Amino acid sequence: MKKLNRRSVLRGMLGGGLVTIGLPIFDALLNDTATAFADGDALPKRFGIFFWGNGVLPEIWTPKATGTMWELSPTLQPLAEMKAKLSVISGMKVPIANAVPHLSGPIGLLSGAPALAADKEAFARASIDQVIAEAIGGDSRFKSLEIGVQPGVKTLSFNGPRSNNPAETSPHALFQRVFGPEFVMPGDMAKPNPTLALRKSVLDAVTDDAKRLHLNLGATDKARLDQHLTGIRALELRLKKLQENPPSLAACKVPAAPKEAYPDVEGRPPLDEISRAMADILAMTLACDQTRVFSFWFTHGVSNTLFKGATSGHHQLTHDEPSPQPEVAKILLQIMTELNYLLKAFDAVAEGSSTLLDHCGILATSDCSYGRQHLLDDYPLIVAGTANANLKTGIHYRSPAQENTSKLILTLARAMGMTLDSFGDSEGKTNQSLTAIEV
Amino acid sequence: MTLVMKHAATVALLLIPLAACDGEKAKQPAQAVAPEPPKGPVGPPTPTASAAQRLTTAQYRNAIRDLFGPEVVVPPALEPDVALDGFDSVGSSKSTVSARGVEQYEAAAFAIGNQVIADPKLLGRVLTCKPAGVTDEACARTFTTALGRRVFRRPLTPEETTKVVTVITTSATTLGTFEKGLPFGIAALLQSPNFLYRPVFGQGEPKQHTGFELATRLSFFLWNTIPDDALLDAARDGALASYDGVKKEVDRMLASPLARDGLRNFVREWFRLGDLDRLEKDAKLFTTYSVELGPMAREETLRLFEDLVFEKNADIRDVMTTRRTFITPKLASMYQIPAPSAEGFAPVELPSDSPRRGLLGQIAILALYAHPTSSSATLRGKFVREKLLCVEIPAPPVNVNTALPEPTPDAKTLRQRVKIHLLETSCAGCHKIMDPIGLGLEQFDGIGRYRTKENAALIDPSGELDGQQFNNPGELAEAIRNHRDFGPCIARKVFQYGTGMKPTQEDNPTLKALADHFAAAGYRLKPLMAAVATSPAFRAMGAPH
Repeated sequence: MKKLNRRSVLRGMLGGGLVTIGLPIFDALLNDTATAFADGDALPKRFGIFFWGNGVLPEIWTPKATGTMWELSPTLQPLAEMKAKLSVISGMKVPIANAVPHLSGPIGLLSGAPALAADKEAFARASIDQVIAEAIGGDSRFKSLEIGVQPGVKTLSFNGPRSNNPAETSPHALFQRVFGPEFVMPGDMAKPNPTLALRKSVLDAVTDDAKRLHLNLGATDKARLDQHLTGIRALELRLKKLQENPPSLAACKVPAAPKEAYPDVEGRPPLDEISRAMADILAMTLACDQTRVFSFWFTHGVSNTLFKGATSGHHQLTHDEPSPQPEVAKILLQIMTELNYLLKAFDAVAEGSSTLLDHCGILATSDCSYGRQHLLDDYPLIVAGTANANLKTGIHYRSPAQENTSKLILTLARAMGMTLDSFGDSEGKTNQSLTAIEV
Repeated sequence: MTLVMKHAATVALLLIPLAACDGEKAKQPAQAVAPEPPKGPVGPPTPTASAAQRLTTAQYRNAIRDLFGPEVVVPPALEPDVALDGFDSVGSSKSTVSARGVEQYEAAAFAIGNQVIADPKLLGRVLTCKPAGVTDEACARTFTTALGRRVFRRPLTPEETTKVVTVITTSATTLGTFEKGLPFGIAALLQSPNFLYRPVFGQGEPKQHTGFELATRLSFFLWNTIPDDALLDAARDGALASYDGVKKEVDRMLASPLARDGLRNFVREWFRLGDLDRLEKDAKLFTTYSVELGPMAREETLRLFEDLVFEKNADIRDVMTTRRTFITPKLASMYQIPAPSAEGFAPVELPSDSPRRGLLGQIAILALYAHPTSSSATLRGKFVREKLLCVEIPAPPVNVNTALPEPTPDAKTLRQRVKIHLLETSCAGCHKIMDPIGLGLEQFDGIGRYRTKENAALIDPSGELDGQQFNNPGELAEAIRNHRDFGPCIARKVFQYGTGMKPTQEDNPTLKALADHFAAAGYRLKPLMAAVATSPAFRAMGAPH
């Protein structure tokens, strides 16, 4: 395996480009109209990924017309109310070798690079959510949050090779983690707690152990331990924040507690209920500035979960159902309905003179285009939210020449305030953004 | 299409006629006396790559049970295991812990520590001194030294001890009692990478695992938990420096009830039986499906293995052909036989004319390697090839039409529909070594119920496995049992599980020696585990991965 050191891990995380980031200043007061902080900095930007497995049916996915005068395709109908707040991007291609069905696509899309040479199922570089989290997530309570809908869903959020960020798949656990006993309402005084300093002293002892070990480990284990230390530092930061008084945020409310469990109904997980519970918690998690980066894993690639009304598992249907695959089409409508719910939940949160959704850049995508054949050209891509007026919404951009999907990812990273020269590696690398959706 | 090419070579290899196996099936020894396994270390001292494996969730839970007692409740949320090459133990060599995982370890450590001090019985097990005052440093030191040795699986260094003692006394001072300081000391130990990972540094030239490192390696391999005091004492006393010393400990360990945990975990990882917790089956179609079915079916499989290994010391290949199993009334009703007991699991001998025989007649395998609404010849065939015969099946080529035709009046059964896999050249390479096996199991539907017809057409369960004809699932089970690759494959899986590394070319001499020893020992699993545990390869320490 390729040797790693901390610097190369970090370099991988930052996509190999130059990075300068203005750290968000959040303890300042808002200006009179609450559209920005008093010193002119905009409300914080948030980045998110909404992902589902097993691709789309290109015939009924891609809108016919392009530009600003376009109509939603049959599959995109559930997003009608949100049409002005999203852009559909079609005709782009993940340019890396399609070696592993359902995995090569997202590895190439999210990391902009081929998989590890020695293991075509492993990310060689960090996925874009972690690249952006590294840049904008450091100041919030959670650098990023990974959320899963399908029970046991596997995420594709990676810090580097084989360094996965698993998802919270229980709404109750997510609620407890964010809004449980440790939550301090923005604007409230921190609760005095003598055990915080003691917990910090425990983490100091643990860090000391880790540093001693680090000296003598091989390169790969050093990188693995570094990742553990990153987690410990995040925990320390969280303990520190518990002693600070968070600034007031008008939009922040503790959401209603979800149900403790969402058991299967006749052998089928209630994906819609779980997704909505997660979306409601997530909206307030962002409004309360507990995190600025999320990824939302509705299902994973090869997921054979039973959707409502389907006669077989999803993955099996994408391969076995005769064209034009009406059952697969219905499943995609269910997924788009839940994407719509999430976007609407975000759009319902007023932040200043606009909404939470307007301060987000959300990439909605899958693991291939046509699921039956695992194609990587004409990749399904939706961008929702303008990231504080840095992205154009309400358009359908169709690439005339199977452009590299890394152009879109670079655009999103730049919209988040990162000044990257380029994104990706090898055949995935680009230094051009997708100007069609750039403001 | 390199995948297909590569694959074609594998197929050619597999299709070499297995003359040696012909005729063997009729004369399986019923209750042969176990041959005495050959003595002495097995295989060359070729090390596998080394890595600081992190504890799997099962190992973490078992460790807490052994450190503090079975009463302690470990919070359910822990960093999930990652399987690589089919094993969590291999994934544990390579995967990392996420920020959320670090958070969960902190929460778990305090939850455990607080339970320990809340119950005098639990506290008495780990606190052997009586604290004289809030900041009794000597007592804190006694506590840390004893507990720390089992948590780190080696004695703590003086600096490490002092660090934890300081955490305890500082916390005790702040919170007002000695006991209230202890959870912070416990949390410092349980969150340390020295507990959560298994760092190895080795000693000597060529490098060998140290006594304590070997003790840890043996313990997680054979018991799936931390070493006990006796094993740590053996390491301290240098007893693990010789083959005889290791053999003595390994024999003791295999005789312990904890070895059953070890075996169960191996089987669970080998067949991915953990996935039975999330079995998704259409309950309208499979009216016998309920959420407890998956875990119940897993328990059946694990009990059969336990019986063959620990009660019978049987040729483990008999797991394919035995009529014996362990079932509940619910499983009995699904198997359409009288329940052997009113509740819980009980042993039963299936009638000799039962279509069910051994592992491939069990719901755990039949339901797990199937779709939510139907069976799958491909998934079941892949299970046999990959898990039982150690053939690596590459991912299907992309850009091919992977659709199966719907049932039609002419093609009512899966056998007729999957023919397409075998006609398309890009599919046939792999599918012809998977589908014919799975088609032999088509009399079991997607949840493992027996049937003779699909869409009113008679199911033909006959086929051929690498030159061996079979007419029904029972004969397929025999063909696998007697397949020349089955025994060596089991040896390979045990070695891979034990070392936490996918075998490479360099391991072939070790694997060959282990397979030969396994055969000479009558394919008994305990001697195989002992051979791996005492092998020079297991003691040797390789370069970091």
